Formats: sequence, structure tokens, C-alpha cells
Amino acid sequence: MKVTLNWLKQYVDIPWSPEELTERLTLLGVEVEGVQKIDGEWDGVVVAQIVTRDKHPNADKLSLCRVNDGTGERQIVCGAQNFKVGDKVPLILPGASLPMKLGDKELFTIKVGKIRGIESHGMLCSHEELGIDPESIGHCKEDGLLLLRETAVVGQSLASYLGRSGSDVVYDLEITPNRPDLTSLIGIAREIAAITGQPLRLPECRVLLECGVTAASLVSVSLEAPDLCPRYTARIIRGVKVGPSPVWLRSALEKVGVRSINNVVDVSNYVLLETGHPLHTFDYSLIAAGAGGKPSIVVRRAVFEESFTTLDGRAHRLGQEALLIADAEKGIALAGLMGGSNSEIRESTVDVLIESAYFSPASIRRTSKALGVRTDASYRFERGADVGICDYASRRCAALILETAGGQLAEGSVEVYPSPFEPHQLALRYQRTDALTGTVISPEEQSRILIGLGLVNVTPIGGSVETATWLIPTWRVDLKREVDLIEEVVRVFGVGRIPSTQSRRAQGSHPADAHFDRLTEVRRLLSGLGLDEAQGQTLVAEASARWVTEGVVLLSNPLSSEMNALRPSLLPGLLDTLRHNLSRRNGDVQLFEIGRVFVPHEGGLREGWRLALALTGARAPRFWSGLDRDARCDIPDLKGLIEEVIERIGLRGIAWIRRAEPTSLFIESASIALGGKLALGQLGQLQPQLGKLYDLRDGVFLAELDLDLLFQRGNSAKSFKPLAQFPSIQRDLAMIVVESTTHDAVLAVIKQAKPAHLETMALFDVFRGKHVPEGRKSLAYSFTYRAADRTLKDDEVNAAHGRVIEAVKEALGAVLRD
Amino acid sequence: MSLQDRLSTIRDAAVSELMGALDLPALERSKGLFLGPEGRFTALIKELSALAREERPLAGKAINAAKQELEALLAEKRATLERTASLPKEAADFTAPGRRRPLGRLHPLTLVTEDIVRAFRRLGFAVADGPEIEDEYHCFDALNTPSDHPARDAQDTFFIETPGRPLLRTHTSSVQIRVMETMPPPIRIVVPGRVFRRDNADATHNPTFHQIEGLYVDKGVTLGDLKGTVEAVFKDVLGDDIKLRFRPHYFSYTEPSMEIDFTNALVKKLGKDWLEIAGCGMVHPKVFETVAYDPEVWSGWAFGFGIERIAMLRYGITDIRLFYENDTRFLRQF
Repeated sequence: MKVTLNWLKQYVDIPWSPEELTERLTLLGVEVEGVQKIDGEWDGVVVAQIVTRDKHPNADKLSLCRVNDGTGERQIVCGAQNFKVGDKVPLILPGASLPMKLGDKELFTIKVGKIRGIESHGMLCSHEELGIDPESIGHCKEDGLLLLRETAVVGQSLASYLGRSGSDVVYDLEITPNRPDLTSLIGIAREIAAITGQPLRLPECRVLLECGVTAASLVSVSLEAPDLCPRYTARIIRGVKVGPSPVWLRSALEKVGVRSINNVVDVSNYVLLETGHPLHTFDYSLIAAGAGGKPSIVVRRAVFEESFTTLDGRAHRLGQEALLIADAEKGIALAGLMGGSNSEIRESTVDVLIESAYFSPASIRRTSKALGVRTDASYRFERGADVGICDYASRRCAALILETAGGQLAEGSVEVYPSPFEPHQLALRYQRTDALTGTVISPEEQSRILIGLGLVNVTPIGGSVETATWLIPTWRVDLKREVDLIEEVVRVFGVGRIPSTQSRRAQGSHPADAHFDRLTEVRRLLSGLGLDEAQGQTLVAEASARWVTEGVVLLSNPLSSEMNALRPSLLPGLLDTLRHNLSRRNGDVQLFEIGRVFVPHEGGLREGWRLALALTGARAPRFWSGLDRDARCDIPDLKGLIEEVIERIGLRGIAWIRRAEPTSLFIESASIALGGKLALGQLGQLQPQLGKLYDLRDGVFLAELDLDLLFQRGNSAKSFKPLAQFPSIQRDLAMIVVESTTHDAVLAVIKQAKPAHLETMALFDVFRGKHVPEGRKSLAYSFTYRAADRTLKDDEVNAAHGRVIEAVKEALGAVLRD
Repeated sequence: MSLQDRLSTIRDAAVSELMGALDLPALERSKGLFLGPEGRFTALIKELSALAREERPLAGKAINAAKQELEALLAEKRATLERTASLPKEAADFTAPGRRRPLGRLHPLTLVTEDIVRAFRRLGFAVADGPEIEDEYHCFDALNTPSDHPARDAQDTFFIETPGRPLLRTHTSSVQIRVMETMPPPIRIVVPGRVFRRDNADATHNPTFHQIEGLYVDKGVTLGDLKGTVEAVFKDVLGDDIKLRFRPHYFSYTEPSMEIDFTNALVKKLGKDWLEIAGCGMVHPKVFETVAYDPEVWSGWAFGFGIERIAMLRYGITDIRLFYENDTRFLRQF
């Protein structure tokens, strides 16, 4: 909401500079989002009076004058001839600039300077210098100085003499939704008054000229929905002249961004801004007469599907919840939102009905949302208007219409207010404020603050001194319990004045605490292994989610089909990321992501933590030497990373179970299982067709692990094994086996043969080609034998290794190579 | 020619031969020529027996001395030649780029989150979390959000197509309720996590983003404590030279509520006096009543802020979408 400094000053004295006001309001909870200074017209030009006029000692055509500028006398050298002692003339003070005129290149700024050897402290101005057409302001057009009327006040700014706007500051304020009372100039002024202790000056409008006719004889009001409209006031002014608003009104509205329409409408907008209370004005002659023969206002719910055209020309179909201001025949306004085009003030309007009412916030909110109509009025009613201010706002509006558009006010008003609102009371234990803030604020100061905000101390005489009871003004819809009063005290006292205290020690724990550290550890491990960390969107396209699984959770109100599902897996997001990188020519990408996924589970939903990996392109950054410098990422790269993670988390007995068939996602893949059964995740190579969809040309290797299971089953406790004391003996074995023989199968055979003293065995070569028949492959293993208590003898090792050779020949049909 | 003279001749020849050897094989050949079984030196030793008994000791001594000299020479020459032989064929170019073991980078949001969590943990906070799929009760009702608050609208919040109409949490504050429901006070938690708002992605919005939030409930917790902790955390995260100010504001679940602005040299450089950074306040008694804590006994505060915002400030990132594109050129800068 916008307010201006000059407007605010009508209600409260402000002892601060415009900058300090910004700071004060902000620290009070009214954030200033923007400040705009408006230059006044003829800044630095004041009304001055000629005290003496003598000839310039060094120039015939110049005069040497002393003039009174309202604060004192000053010496001026002047070249004009058309003035005499006692005349009132415009004086521009040093430092101020003349208005720019056509052809001017830059501002002409007045300085103290010598003219023919004599100092001149300013300049007396002609109408041309000021850019004023003298006739337009009712003055004579003559050469020389602009001679002002005798009534001009010496020292007054020229702008105010001419009724033009002076300089001003426009503040753009952010009003929090709990404070509808601050959507008004008076509301803001009240806050300022509360800190400064200055009185708040509300415009007086008690005495209004009223003609003999009573309002009640001109209109009737009935409330058919008092639950939605508990209070309705109507006033009538007859014989107005609708026309342009006076300059002060137009300029006040325009500075805060409200377009001027005509004097009557402008007044109701002005009062809205001033008091925060939305009013509506009707053309009285367009209100149809009811049963009693006089125009009648009926506040009622709309009939289902009732049509109504608001004054912006939009036609609406109303639901039964909408509240209408109607006459005997038709709706004439959407209550609290906007008037109807059938009853708006127009140039021909002569008689005006002023509506000032209170509408239930929920009702206005619902209708506003349903119809998509949002106005300054709905904004305020939705948040809670001040039911207590209806009559005051109506009188203020009437007074200003009379002032700006003339007319005669009908006597009294027609008010329907069946169950007047009872202001509520709240108790404040002063000590409670201290307990909550950690500082001492005296009861006197707390009390002073609340009184400054318009609360009334209604503590019964002889009541407790530690606790006070406060009557809450009707405009403070946000004050509901004790702590709300404490907040008021804190706000006005100043949060900055509450001392900070040192933090205290640890309290309690939470399972997520350890989990956070485990995630951190996995992240560090993988980044250490050369993978960059990705963070993908939680929301993905349903189509891509279905590449991974059938169980997909959908949003009921997605923003787009690109983001209509919760990710059931991190892989779709990583594919998007790969595409993004490839499209930017980052062809070598090695990423991991840790995040939550969402899957349907036993009729509900389950969230789980996952780890996913994605590799594509070169294994290592391009280097200028080395045998495998052109190596591309492959399945063993991926598996190696997973092995590191699994080992770090501390899991044993992992099986890598190859899937017999491609899946929708993978051309070749395996599931990762614990104890051969519990699925921990999967890894594989992306379907090339799918890769093409994502513009991925190189092989893409993806894996995903269930981190919850990993953490649950992992045991990273370490225990020390004594270092071997005796030497080991190594034996290598190369054998040709059929292609389908897996490493696991070889391991199983060896394990079963139980060769004595076998410490480890390692696969060191897999070969197909020369000297290996088609459909077969050569596997080479290195076996390490060691005894814990002695050095093994050759023949002991030979015996053990012999069992190995026999076992592979027999169980695998292996043929030994030399 | 006497044996002595011949010894001298042979020794001289051997020295020049050994010294002249250009490589190890040549050296070994020269050695054979003189000291080998068929070598000239060996032949000379065999002649000793032909000498008169009294001449033998002297001659033997001379031959031995010469032999030791030659063997020492040989060892020295061998070491020199071996050293030469083991020299690299081509000299290493120490100016050529080194072979780097690629190190991956953590996502900037991770780095910032970890820093913030570390700052809270130093003050004795434990990490807590709750589900991202929430219900209206934990996300709104229990936090004293009015039933007609715009945040509860399908316009602003993602709802899930599942019976019970769960939603994606719009703030980490729902975790406050989750924790207080299940744990008795006192409580000190820090909650980092993903949250969701139904905003179209642009430079400052993404439907998914991260928040972090601290909650402290105990007897006698004051607004002064809140300020002290907020100052400690932000100094830790943003540097000691920051200034903070607390501005009264409105949140439904705290009372009094404040927004926190900070400033430092960077903010000034952006041409601003203050930048809004966080929201905070004393836990609303209604929230305590909802989780069955007695607000007359317990008091507490909460404060929360966006992680992306901190990361954007810290690194000078101007588009939030970069966090979720995972462009490796972006990731590799942190």
C-alpha cells in the first residue's frame, strides 16, 4: 500500500526525516518496500516582500534591494523595474533551480554571487523564469517580476500560494495479512503516534450541513443476510455536481497510484485510503423503489445463477453464496467487491447514496475467489474491516462530497445494525512479557504502549497490579490472546532493544541426526571417487517415471505434464540432467544423486532415500599419455563405485544377479541383492533407444540403491586383524571355460574344493580371441596361499593348488592353459 | 722383461681398457680379458709358481695390490655405467600437465546445508526431519494457519492424487509438529529439507526448493535467546562482518513474529541497505496447545530460511534453476 509523507502529517506530527521514517516503520513491522521522492513545483521559491529598493552603486539599470523571505532579510540585486517597496514577489533561494524550459540544456541553479561587485543572495523571479502563465492564475501579465497578491503570506512556498503540490515522499508499504487496520493512512499514523507519543488527529466531521429531509424518508434498507452483512449504513446527498476533483484530491490520489475519476468517486476512494474502510457510492436515481414507494436497498444472497454485470463491464454468474446489494428489482452491487454498471456514478448523477457497511471476511473471500474479482475493497473486507468505523467513514465521505461536489445532505442516515459488536477484552500479565522476551519492560511502559495503540485499560479499580485487562478496539481484529498483546509491546518497544543472550547447551536428539551424517559420508565418498553431485527435481514427468516403475504417484494439481508425478526413482531426473549436459556438449558426465523418492505402498505412499549413479563418456579426463586414456565408462566402472559404497556402509554377502532379459530401462542389467534375496538396487546399461530419446549417444550406465536398506543392514564397525607374520606363496591359473561361466561360478567351485591355506584369489585377466575357441573364454586367476603359524612348503601348496585344478576341470570343464 | 715389468704393462692396459668401456657389456668383456679365467692377469698369477721361492712373496704382493686396484676400478666403473644405463630414455617434461585423479564436487546446496547444520550443531542442535508428503494437519492446522489461508489453496500447494488428499509440504515447519507430537520438551532441532510450492520455474522460483529451520523449546526460552542464536548461526554461515536486524512481521505459528534482514559489504555492493534473509518468532501458544505442551510452562522459538537464497548470496548465483539443471560446468565450480 502506498502512503505519502504529507498526507500522513495531516494525522500525526512526524519528528523524523523521511529516511528515518522508513527505518522506524520497517522496524515496527511495516516494511517499506519502496520510497519515491516527488519534487515539488518551484522548490525553493518563496513569497518575499520588498523592504528597501535602492540604485545599484555600479550599474544604472540594476536595483539593490533588501527583501524579507519570512525568516529574515537578505540582499538581492535585481534588474526588473516594475516593483516598489512593499510588493510581494517570488524569490528563489540559493541552491534551488529554476524549472527547465524548452531549449534548456541543463538546470539553472541559483548561487550566491556578485553582480557588478555587490553580492546577491537569491533572485527575484519573473513569470517567464518560473514558467507560469500569469493569466492562468489570475495575475496581470507584465514585464518584470511576477507581482503576487497582497494576501500572500511572506515566507510561504510559491507552490502553496498557487495551490500546487509541494515536494513529497511516497512510501510503498508491505502490510502483513493480519493487519487490515494498517491498510489506511490513519492506521499508519496511529502506529507512528504510538512510538512518538504524539497525539493522533482524526478529521473532525461531526457537524454536517443537513437539509430538512431525512435520509429515512428517501431510502429503506433491509438485511436479509445479517450473518454476511451485520451492519449497513446509507447516507444521501442530493444535488451534487459531478465533475473533476479539485487539485488537492486528484494529486493525493495520483501520488499513491489511484486514478482520478470524478469528485464523488474520488472522495470515496480517498476515504477508503484514509480510514481503510471501503465505501460505495450509488446514483440514487437508479435505485428502484420498493413496496413503500421509496427506493429500497436489500442486502441478500444471490439467487443461484443470477447474472450481474460489474462496473468494469464483466458479466458474472453468481452462486448462492455471493452477497448482493440489491434494490427491489435487481442487484446493484456485489457486496464488498464492486458496484454494478447499472447504478454507478456518472456525469449526470445528481443524487448520491453512500454505502458504508461491514461484510463477513469469509463471504467476501469466497465470492472474490469464485468470480476472480479482486479490488481494494475486497482486499480489506477479506482481511477484516472495522465494524466500528462504518458511521464515521460515511460521515467523512459525506463531508468531503459536500466540499468537493456541493449538494445537500439528507438528515441522519439509515442504519441497520441488529446486533452491535461487543468489543472483547484481553488480560495481560506484565511479567509474562518479560518472561518471553528475556528483558524487563516496566508495566508503565507496556501500558503506555498499548494505550498509544488505542487499547483501553479497563482493569477494575482495586484489581491486580500485575495483570491488566484491556479493551480491544474494533479495528484490531488480530488481537486475540495475551501473546498478541505481548507482541504489540515488543514491536513498539523495539526488538532491537532486547538484548541477545548466549545460546544454551544441547537438548535431545532425533533419528535424522545420525542419518544426516551417514548421507554426508556417502556424499564425501562419491565425490572423492570423482563423481559430481546432482540435485534433481522432485517433480518429474509421469511418462519418464514409468520407464523405471509402474508404481507412480501423481499430483492432482500439476503445473504441467513435465512435472506431474513424484519421482519414484532418481533415474528419470538423472536422465534429464544427462540430456541437459549433452546438449551443452558436456559429453563426459559422472554424477550421483542422493534424495527421496515416493512409491505407492500398501494402499498409501512411502518415502525412501535413494542413491543413484550415472556414468557416460570418457572414464577419465583426457590426458596426453597412457594406454587407456581413451577408455569409456563401462559396467565395471559402475560396479566398482557401488562396491566402494557398499563396503563403506559395511555390507557383506551381496549378490549381483544378472537379469535374463532387457527391461524397459536397461538393455542389460542386474539386480543387487543382499543374502541373495533382499533387493538393494539395480545397475545396468541404458536401453539405446531410450538413450536416443534423451539425445544420449554414448553408452549410459545407471545404478540405483535403496539407502534406507543399506543403512539399516550396514555395519561399518571395524575390527583389527593382526598383520601376517609368514610369507605367502602365489600360484597363477589360466583356464579356458565356456562363455556362460561366470566369475561367481568359479568362486563357488573353488569354495567347495576347500583348498588348504588359500588366503585370497583374484581374477586378473579375461581373454577371448587367439588360441581361444569360439564360444569360450580364458580366465586367469591368481591364488595366494598362506599359513598363519609357519612358512608353507612348496609341496603343501602344490597339494592345495592341485585340488583347485581338479575342481575346475571337473566342475567347469575347464581346460588349463600354460 | 721381468714379471714386475709385465705386471706393470698389463695393469696399465687393463686400466685403460676398463676406463674406456662405453657400456656394461663392454666393461664385462674387458673384465674377462684381464681378470677372467683366461685373462691376462690370471695368466700372470699362474706364472708365480715358476718364480724362485724368495721372489714369490714380493711378486705375489705386487700382483694382489694390482688386482685389488683393478677390481675397485671395475666396481666404480660398473656403478657409473649402471647409473648411465638406468637413465630415462627421454627426459620428463616437468612443465607438461600432471595426470589428475578426478575429484567430484558436492552440490552447492549440499555444501551450504552442511555449513548451516554445522553452525546449529555447534550450538547443540540435533538434525531432525519428517516426511515430504504431508497432511493438512501437520502442514497447516497444527501451525495455526487459518482454514482459508491462501497457502492452503490448490493454487499454491501441490496435492497428491491419492485418497486423503495428502500434499507436498510447503515448509519444513511441519516437522516442528511431527517432533513435538512424539518427543517431550526440551527440544532443540535443526530441520533441513525439501519443500514445494506451486510456482512456475523462473530465475527466483522453482517448484522444489530447500529450507532449513531451527526450533528450541524449553523452560524460560526468550526472544533474547532467539536473537542470540540467530546471530551466532548467521555469523557462522555468512561471516562475522554481517549485521542483522529484526523487523516485526506476521506468521500464524509464531507470536511475536519477526523477519530478519542482514547486511554486509556484499549487500551494499548490490546497492541495498538490507536483504531479507529469514523469518522467526516465539512459538505461538496455540501451537503448543495443539501438541499438548503447556504454554504456561514451556516457551520456545523457531526460525527458518531458504537454503537456495543463502547459496545464491554466497556464490553470487542469479538463477535458481541452475541448481536443478546439474550442468557439470556449474557443479565443478564449488
